[in-house]
Amino acid sequence: MAAEEKFDVIVVGAGLAGSTAAYVLAKEGLQVLLIERGRQAGAKNMTGGIIYSRVVHEVFPNFWEEAPVERAITSYNIVFLGENSAVTLNLKAPGLGKPPYNAFSVLRAKFDRWIAGKAEEAGATLVTGVTVDELVMENGKVKGIKSGSDELLADVVIDAEGAKSLLVEKAGLRGDFKPEDVSVGVKELIELPEETVNERFNVGGGEGASYTLVGYTKGVAGGGFLYTNKASISLGIVARIDMLVEKQVKVHELIEDYKVHPFISKLIEGGNVAEYSAQIIHEGGIAQVPRLYSDGFLAAGSSACLLINNLFTLRGMDLAVASGAAAARAVLKAKERNDFSASSLSAYESLLREAFILTDMEAFRRTPSLLNNRRFFTVYPDLACSVMEELFSVNPAPSEKAFKVVRRHMKGKAGLLDVLRDLLGVYRAL
Amino acid sequence: MEIIVCAKYALDVAEIKIDPSGKPLLDGVPRRVSDIDKNAMEAAVNIKEKQGGTIKVVCFGPASAKEGLKELLAMGADEAYLVEDPSGGMLDTAATVEALAAAIQKIGSFDLILCGEATTDGYTGQVGPRLAGKLGIPQITYARNLNVEGNSVTAERDLEDAYETVKAPTPVLVSVTREINVPRIPSLMAILKASKKPMTIWKLEDLGLSKEKLEQVSTLQTVDLQGFAVERKRVVIKDKPVEEAVQELVSYLMKEKALGV
Amino acid sequence: MDKRLGLNKYEIDSESHIEVDKELCEKCEAKPCLFVCPAEVYKLEDGKLVYSYEDCLECGTCIIACKGMGRGAVNWRNPRGGFGIVYRYG
Repeated sequence: MAAEEKFDVIVVGAGLAGSTAAYVLAKEGLQVLLIERGRQAGAKNMTGGIIYSRVVHEVFPNFWEEAPVERAITSYNIVFLGENSAVTLNLKAPGLGKPPYNAFSVLRAKFDRWIAGKAEEAGATLVTGVTVDELVMENGKVKGIKSGSDELLADVVIDAEGAKSLLVEKAGLRGDFKPEDVSVGVKELIELPEETVNERFNVGGGEGASYTLVGYTKGVAGGGFLYTNKASISLGIVARIDMLVEKQVKVHELIEDYKVHPFISKLIEGGNVAEYSAQIIHEGGIAQVPRLYSDGFLAAGSSACLLINNLFTLRGMDLAVASGAAAARAVLKAKERNDFSASSLSAYESLLREAFILTDMEAFRRTPSLLNNRRFFTVYPDLACSVMEELFSVNPAPSEKAFKVVRRHMKGKAGLLDVLRDLLGVYRAL
Repeated sequence: MEIIVCAKYALDVAEIKIDPSGKPLLDGVPRRVSDIDKNAMEAAVNIKEKQGGTIKVVCFGPASAKEGLKELLAMGADEAYLVEDPSGGMLDTAATVEALAAAIQKIGSFDLILCGEATTDGYTGQVGPRLAGKLGIPQITYARNLNVEGNSVTAERDLEDAYETVKAPTPVLVSVTREINVPRIPSLMAILKASKKPMTIWKLEDLGLSKEKLEQVSTLQTVDLQGFAVERKRVVIKDKPVEEAVQELVSYLMKEKALGV
Repeated sequence: MDKRLGLNKYEIDSESHIEVDKELCEKCEAKPCLFVCPAEVYKLEDGKLVYSYEDCLECGTCIIACKGMGRGAVNWRNPRGGFGIVYRYG
């Protein structure tokens, strides 16, 4: 079927990367078609993270004034979970609760609808409820998309379909994903009254807390997260696919364990679970990033495996916005030359470097391998808890010096050399 | 054949929450085109594909109903008309019929009006029959199939325990059941085309009506709206041989009158 | 699990977006799909793999696990437009 209209650019997926790309392109007057397979933008999307504000602010200045954000995160926590105790590292920074903010919790069903609306306002055509099945290819060049029996051509296709990245594979830009590079994340959305969230997390209205949870995962590489939304809590777990199979553990069993852990159960007490969601997460770092472009084709956001995990922060959503914008700018440059070949679109890579995305990913290239070290999620969280518990407890027995306590608890679990080697690993990775 | 399809932008019942006191919360519940109205649209498109003609879709509903009308245009309607409901979609069937009839009279000629047997939210099934009455045309309800030949339509009506085949001359109103067809999912091209099709938006005043007038005919008042929660019995039969467990289960179900003679 | 998935909103399609190659699947001993799917879409019934595509959360885990650790029997595509999971919060 021939198209009656011709689009300059087709963007696949109205998530953060896709809608941002469509917004930037439409604002410059290009004819953009934004295709979303969900009934509405955001219907297929979930997050296990918070959105870091700085990069989003560059594309959508003061977005927090109109976007449906949940809470500005002012309390950052890393929690090591032992059997019955927890050791917490906490940063409370009220300053981060003021413009330009550091990060927000968001619910994607709402937030993605907002950002797709921005693309529409700028002049992009948004079509929802349409699945893109294939790319139209000609001599290895991408010419357009196929949906059912419909074919539609464009100068460029920007793929922002998300982590499954099926079109990137079809474009021949990546091989198979390896189970050891990918985690599955599941999340429960637990409703609680707004005031209860404020009190329980000791935050002012509009401010919120984030928790990175380490340990208590039955030996499976991964960890958990907990974020406060306006009137709900997002509690989830991330577990490496290969290790779930190896340990024969089901990912939702881990979330059940979390919910009865004394540290977590108190935080979610009295809440009602309203939704259960899941998503894959590319943890392979820079090594996993596919070729980002080819003739007539660019990949942005998590379909390009853009994710930075430096153990303290997990950045995905802001990279999606930044890469969407970078992809759009690369297309604008190509449009000036009217050349949409791979070499013309290669500006995308340098734009991603200028936005510090690829440079940051390269800087943290060693962190994925830290996750291969089982001591980080099996031995150390427990060790931290049992050592602290003993140091803070007063017993009738004679006291030992702290270092001796640590050594005693390490016995049989980790040698001193292992620990030194691991510390060096962390030092190098960060 | 000139066909008019009536459609409702109904509450999405899957999104209605019941709060602990038993009251359903209707505030902020999203809307969607009532499922069975899509069957009516599919029936219209099938007729048009066979013998040509035009399809106009009419909706009395909130301004947001434009989204739903776009979907019906993508399914194959040629033109859409929205009569904006100042009450936000909360008037009764009498008021709805008043508005739809006025819109249809303004549109002018037609051979066939199609609607769903009932809407997925209110499920009164009254709008079709009342509209036929108001317009003074024959009606066929609960059609599970439909054939148009010249100036008459033949339909098989689903009477639950029997099927009845009836014939009526045009102009006629037919309400269809879910069984009549499977509504199509609009393709990418159909959606793109639909964005260029005309959509007319009327205020009540454009049709010689007013909010007050509709409120006068809308005599049905919602006095109370209660959800009900079904408490589970939480009976577990375990650690027993299968035969014994089955016996116990059967006698329990009989006692509860879930099984019995 | 049913209770948990019961909280979610789905637009259920009449056709499945998941297909499993029976021959390949029967040869697979590891059956990683049984452990990794967060919605327990894949189950064993009398030693045979059965799957309920209606429960799928569309996360993509099974594709990777089956290809990387199984036999690649799972053929997964996106559901048709508008169908499948509909997140209200996300």
